[in-house]
Amino acid sequence: MIYSLYIISKAGGLMYQKDFNEGLAHLTANEYLVFAGTFHGVHAITSKISPVRNSTSSGLEVLEADSFKLYCFQTLTGTKFLIIADPTHANIDLVLRRTYDVYSDYVMKNPFYTPEMPIRSELFDVNIVKLIKQVGG
Amino acid sequence: MGSNNAGTASATTSMNGQPDGGDLGGSPPHSAAANNHLASHHSTTSQLTSATSMFSDSRLVNIEEESKLVYGVVRTLRNLVNKLSGNQDGFISYRTSNYKLHYYETQTGLKFVINTDPSTESLRPVLRQIYTNFFVEYVVKNPLAPVGHPGGEGVNNEYFKAAVDKFVKNLSFFDS
Amino acid sequence: MSQASRASVMSSATDIRSIKRVSIVDRNLNKTRGLEVGIGAFAFLFSEMLQYAQKRVHGIQDLERKLNDFGYRVGTRLLELTVWREKNNKRETRVLGILYFIHTTVWKTLFGKQADSLEKSTEHEDEYMISDNDPLISKYISVPKELSQLNCNAFLAGIVEAILDGAQFPSRVTAHSLPQDGFPLRTTILIQLDKEILQREEQLK
Repeated sequence: MIYSLYIISKAGGLMYQKDFNEGLAHLTANEYLVFAGTFHGVHAITSKISPVRNSTSSGLEVLEADSFKLYCFQTLTGTKFLIIADPTHANIDLVLRRTYDVYSDYVMKNPFYTPEMPIRSELFDVNIVKLIKQVGG
Repeated sequence: MGSNNAGTASATTSMNGQPDGGDLGGSPPHSAAANNHLASHHSTTSQLTSATSMFSDSRLVNIEEESKLVYGVVRTLRNLVNKLSGNQDGFISYRTSNYKLHYYETQTGLKFVINTDPSTESLRPVLRQIYTNFFVEYVVKNPLAPVGHPGGEGVNNEYFKAAVDKFVKNLSFFDS
Repeated sequence: MSQASRASVMSSATDIRSIKRVSIVDRNLNKTRGLEVGIGAFAFLFSEMLQYAQKRVHGIQDLERKLNDFGYRVGTRLLELTVWREKNNKRETRVLGILYFIHTTVWKTLFGKQADSLEKSTEHEDEYMISDNDPLISKYISVPKELSQLNCNAFLAGIVEAILDGAQFPSRVTAHSLPQDGFPLRTTILIQLDKEILQREEQLK
């Protein structure tokens, strides 16, 4: 079961947030923004505090909690895709990459979208919901 | 935000059983060293060397810096998780491409952290053992250790260090 | 959008390894296989065109007219090319003939498939409709609410208008969104023929 999807811009702004299933606490619009900003900061630090010397680490990729797992995929351009799912849900990495596909098609190729701004694109919504349904969200 | 937290909350806070308090100063170098003794036991060989070297003065500044960051990250993530899941004690671990950080928080607000390679299973039980078997035994029950361990005082004792060191080295996945 | 200009988009991305490719003017006009432009490349180009146009217009109608103009410039060239490529290049003189040509040949050249329907209006003698269930041009485009009247296939309408014009069937061509069950993006190209064409048809009968 997939609870929600977040897309965070390279500057730490929340570009997209959607809940698919009940299960997590509901936050206010402002709290979602704070969540995105906070996660963005933590993500940057987690790559710096690697205990392995002389090698570079990615930022946080998977966060495990007792009631959910949070998966983060950062693109080469710095955009972060977050999926919060049931701890038992497999193959979220694949879902994240396909989310990125849908994003590059229906957001980046949309002439009415301004980069880094919140995503309000009907086709993106439709296709994300379709994708999540497909993977048993 | 994480770094801000790390900056204001001294490393002693996590030792003091006061979950979110930031008012306990403590002398930074000592608290950092002690905190790392507890907070960052590394389980691969190379990591363990660094754990040992944590107590040498040469790396003190880096360690202090790092422990603040670790504390900030852990505290922020714990708050995020608790907010989302609505219950306390939800944060278990996170991993990046080359390490995994395991987290355990006691009822009294002490935070235990251990870093491993990314493929290691959850070490929450191990952290719990370190708490009950070693921290309680060698630190809490030590009459010479002051209450609340200001500046990490009392944590950094030889029994505790040796016992934890031995315990971690003997874990089945320590150098696998 | 014609095969030739599709290919030119590709060659602009040529890297050093494929530099021996022949230039667009030296290329055989009949060869089309493997020279299609990726839809991504087209989508980005069209996106930029639309943003360019948007900065220079006032209102939706103005924008659609501009897109229509863009399409018109493509259409005149496309007619020339497709007619030349048709082996039995006869001249279409009847309305149904040219409309069918657009519905099949032109659509295939542009999108690799036929249009989904060609209908005659039941209400107006001079109106015909070509519909596409899933128009390629607006595949990735989500029109914001404040512009909901806009249909980006005005560009396609411009292409069709130019082809009809070039084949001596002057008409007014517009694009309309007419969603159907299962085809939320279905777009209809509405063709209003000039009066003189209807008169000519009468004479040809």
